Amino acid sequence: MSELKVAADIKVGDRLLGWAASEEVRARGASGGLVTAVLASALETGLVERVLILKKVSEFEAYPVFTSDVKEVLESAGSMHSVPVNLARYLKPETCSGKIALPAKPCDARAVVERAKRNALSPEDTYVIGLNCGGTMHPEKVRRMLETVYRLGPEEIAGEEIVKGKLVFFTKDGKEHAVPIDDLEADGLGRRDSCRYCQVKIPTNADLACGNWGVSGDLAGRGTFVEVMTEKGAELLRNAVSAGFAEVMQADEKSISVREKVNKVMLGMSEKRKAEVFSTIENGEERFEYFRKELENCIHCGACKAVCPVCTCGEDSKCTAYSSLADSYKMSLFHMVRFLHLSDSCIGCGQCEDVCPAEIPLTRLYQRFAVPVQKEYRYLPGMSDRTPPFFALKPEDNEDNEGGGCSCR
Amino acid sequence: MEPDKNEISEAWEPRIVMFCCNWCSYAGADGAGIGRFQQPASMRIIRVMCSSRVDPVHVFSAFLEGADAVMITGCHLGDCHYINGNEKTLVKFNFMRSMLKELGLEEERLQLNWISASEGEKFAEVVRKVTEQVRQLGPCVLKPEGVA
Repeated sequence: MSELKVAADIKVGDRLLGWAASEEVRARGASGGLVTAVLASALETGLVERVLILKKVSEFEAYPVFTSDVKEVLESAGSMHSVPVNLARYLKPETCSGKIALPAKPCDARAVVERAKRNALSPEDTYVIGLNCGGTMHPEKVRRMLETVYRLGPEEIAGEEIVKGKLVFFTKDGKEHAVPIDDLEADGLGRRDSCRYCQVKIPTNADLACGNWGVSGDLAGRGTFVEVMTEKGAELLRNAVSAGFAEVMQADEKSISVREKVNKVMLGMSEKRKAEVFSTIENGEERFEYFRKELENCIHCGACKAVCPVCTCGEDSKCTAYSSLADSYKMSLFHMVRFLHLSDSCIGCGQCEDVCPAEIPLTRLYQRFAVPVQKEYRYLPGMSDRTPPFFALKPEDNEDNEGGGCSCR
Repeated sequence: MEPDKNEISEAWEPRIVMFCCNWCSYAGADGAGIGRFQQPASMRIIRVMCSSRVDPVHVFSAFLEGADAVMITGCHLGDCHYINGNEKTLVKFNFMRSMLKELGLEEERLQLNWISASEGEKFAEVVRKVTEQVRQLGPCVLKPEGVA
């Protein structure tokens, strides 16, 4: 085993393995509790004023809170695959003051970037600790899955993980219950729809990219792989190490290649699923009929817009102010404006679909517009600070921009 | 009683909402009138100060309230009264067009044309051409029932 790294040696581009120094945090958090330790130390040392975390109620219930209380941060430890909230939504001018740190799935991190472009938050003051994500699950579906497939009660569950293509639930009595994820997803269970075709699994757009992919051998389950993406990320990690909250060491070649391999497999699965879901509807009239039918049950509650992390319009916006249900014959202005708005900015986080009371597959609908447009402009929202193509001053501004800051397309 | 389909298509005439910029295309429309260039009465012209004033909301509202097509017109690129308004129009237009196409509308239902103040003849020509194109396409799928 190689030696521990000292704080001063941590720099951008480093790939490290780390864990929390405290035994208690290691026991509470997943994979060595590094993320919890970094958040706690940032708060303790005054690097940030507040952190945005999920306050745990149970394994299937949690709510977002801003806190300056280190104790609360330590209590929040542990991954919550069944609470797919997008924390970025809570970063807005009214609530955002001073420096803030938050843990973030790739979609949260992408939303932070997009919100920064729309002046909802200040990127210099936001510390994003990215977490690898192979997908999250809707709590209602998890409950149904536990009852019908696993024959377990929700109160028995201690955690869950995707291991080698199987969704494993760990119960409190220390047992493992595994079912192949493909079987679950064939029945409409398993991960959320949008996660299954998600394009970003490692949050390379965050300040730190953390996860357990690539951690093996002695450290399996007790360490976190972390890649330092930005200077802010290095600052966070240096701070945690020098304050004695975390320990890190250089990752070996094997860890790095395994992590890459897991990422590749995951992205390959997503790519396949994406091709399945977004097969073109050739005929124009059929296509319109498809959208009309899907939106038939819309009750215009506006929840999809209220949770949308890339929408920063606030209460009064074009999509709501000029749309009236009474004037919506074939389609509502609300949805048409949203379709256009999201065609360059939809990150496919799936929040809209989660909250829709009429169970309209909204993320799929938005992505139908987003996929071709984002491909055309070679723009992957939330992966770089490139201006959204819709805000370009002239068409040529959109032409010479390659890649949109991401290598995954 | 279900009306006869053929009867409708005979009675149906395209209705096209046309946004004209104050400085070029609207004057072009005037020119077409003064020069007595023949054109069908299918256009409903709305004057705006600049083509970039046309918001996607205006375009979508027009469709939802029964327009068969929408045409946006402005000054030629480089001639904008507000320096580069029409370049911004072009960016927005590309977005709206791909969105409407994905929604299932034909590309020809949303058009963009640059017509200068002196091009009265071109104005009439464009109106004739677009009306004929939309006539071929038939009524728009977004048109509410009961609207001609």
